[in-house]
Amino acid sequence: MSDPFDAALDLLRRLPPSQTQQNLASIISIAPSLEDDLLSSVDVGLAVKRCPKSGRDYLCCDYNRDGTSYRSPWSNDFDPPIDPDDAADLVPRGKIRRMEEELNKSIDVYRELYYEGGVSSAYLWQLDEGFAGVVLVKKSSAGAGKGGWDSINVFEIIEATSKRSAHYKLTSTVILDLGLQNDAVGGLELAGNLTRQEELDQPLAGLRDAEIESSHVANMGRMVEAMETRLRNLLQEVYFGKAKDVVGDLRSIRLLSEAEQERRSHKEVISKMGGATI
Amino acid sequence: MASKTAIISSFIEAAPPGELSNVVADIKTLVGDDLQSYEPAFKKYHEEQYTAVDVPGGSGKVLLSKYNSLGSNRYFDPTSGNSFAVSFPSLKTSDADSHSPETSNPDLIRSLQAAFSKSAAEHFPSSTIGVFPIGSDIAILIVANKYSPQNFWNGRWRSTYVLCDSGKLSGRIKVDVHYYEDGNVRMQTEREVSGVGGSVGAESVVREIAKAENKFQEELNRGFVTMAEGSFKGLRRQLPVTRQRVEWEKIGGYRLGQDIGGGRSK
Repeated sequence: MSDPFDAALDLLRRLPPSQTQQNLASIISIAPSLEDDLLSSVDVGLAVKRCPKSGRDYLCCDYNRDGTSYRSPWSNDFDPPIDPDDAADLVPRGKIRRMEEELNKSIDVYRELYYEGGVSSAYLWQLDEGFAGVVLVKKSSAGAGKGGWDSINVFEIIEATSKRSAHYKLTSTVILDLGLQNDAVGGLELAGNLTRQEELDQPLAGLRDAEIESSHVANMGRMVEAMETRLRNLLQEVYFGKAKDVVGDLRSIRLLSEAEQERRSHKEVISKMGGATI
Repeated sequence: MASKTAIISSFIEAAPPGELSNVVADIKTLVGDDLQSYEPAFKKYHEEQYTAVDVPGGSGKVLLSKYNSLGSNRYFDPTSGNSFAVSFPSLKTSDADSHSPETSNPDLIRSLQAAFSKSAAEHFPSSTIGVFPIGSDIAILIVANKYSPQNFWNGRWRSTYVLCDSGKLSGRIKVDVHYYEDGNVRMQTEREVSGVGGSVGAESVVREIAKAENKFQEELNRGFVTMAEGSFKGLRRQLPVTRQRVEWEKIGGYRLGQDIGGGRSK
């Protein structure tokens, strides 16, 4: 590993995920030249802000940030307000803003259906070729322990020249934090993040701009739904299945000599059966 | 912001099981420092993680801990009756010398070593144990590692028990698992074991330990289920209450709390 940026990313993948925010700050302080690249490529838990105009909560990430101000997807304003010249570049208008508004509305319903609470936000921006976006969801739970889910879905979309379809590239990360504290188990912490990618072409219905824009929103929503469900199931398997398996590999409750004895008698039975005629 | 030394030391101390060399390689690329200056951090890591080193002039391994530390980077090994020096970060052992630790019950130590070794072999496919006198008490340690970097996971189990003069046994179990395929997932659990006591004789002590560890492991497995069915389930459903995936073309027509199968459950 000779590239400092790769080394920083590798280090963040080894150190405890529950401390990613602090470790990120620490790495930046010892290697300041990596600051911009790291801040834009490392996923950390999402902060929630209240939009002063609409009174609604929204999520903060690098994509809706300018300095220390964040843009609300509901009012489309930066809070605290920023320089009007900067705003001209950073605040989306026209087609991008129309899609962004519709996407936020749809994701809001999706969030209610799957998360039954929480906060969601979506941000879109123009690229030289096509456009890009991010769909964010944050949810906490307090069951028999504490739980936190942050999902970050980053899109890159390019329309075909025919405008009958578009190519969608999605990179999704879920940051999951679970904790359990009781007399029986003591303290148990499971924290981490998983990232997966998906790329596919989807059709664009209609000919008018409004129809194509709605098509994009539906296509993005479909991909987020499928990806988040896939990640949720993978997390369940990895967090609980795998962790339990590794503990079982470290120590066996059952006496190893007993297990070995059973394996040997099984083998004997099977080899005896192998010689029998059916 | 903490000093560079403090930051790098904290990275070394937080390295996941089996990945210290990866963490060190990353640190080297980031700051290119001479690692010898972080010797105290390496020493702390190895003593806390019960790293096993080869016994110089002897057979087998001995684990490093604060309980068998003699200071000045020397440690003792009751099994071979030797003490030896360890260099950090290289972990090279040298300068073996005979050493008989002060202890009021050498027989108990020997029988604990034999009994614990047998019990460990029955539960841990691979482990290193340590039985060290500390004044009139006895420390009983075990470390078990499983490394599978080709499958992007590593795990470590550490048990620490102190058997007091009075026969009272107390301890702590720590398990650390790291999974990092396209991500970074860490499981860390810590459980105090106490009130196990009045044990007389090595066999009885070792039996108590095995019992406590079995109980802990069973509770841990139950803990995973509790988490999966409790706080994890409460985060995101597998499917909406309607038991159907979203019809994205029609989503504009959904009215929250009305059309959606009765609305939010709580």
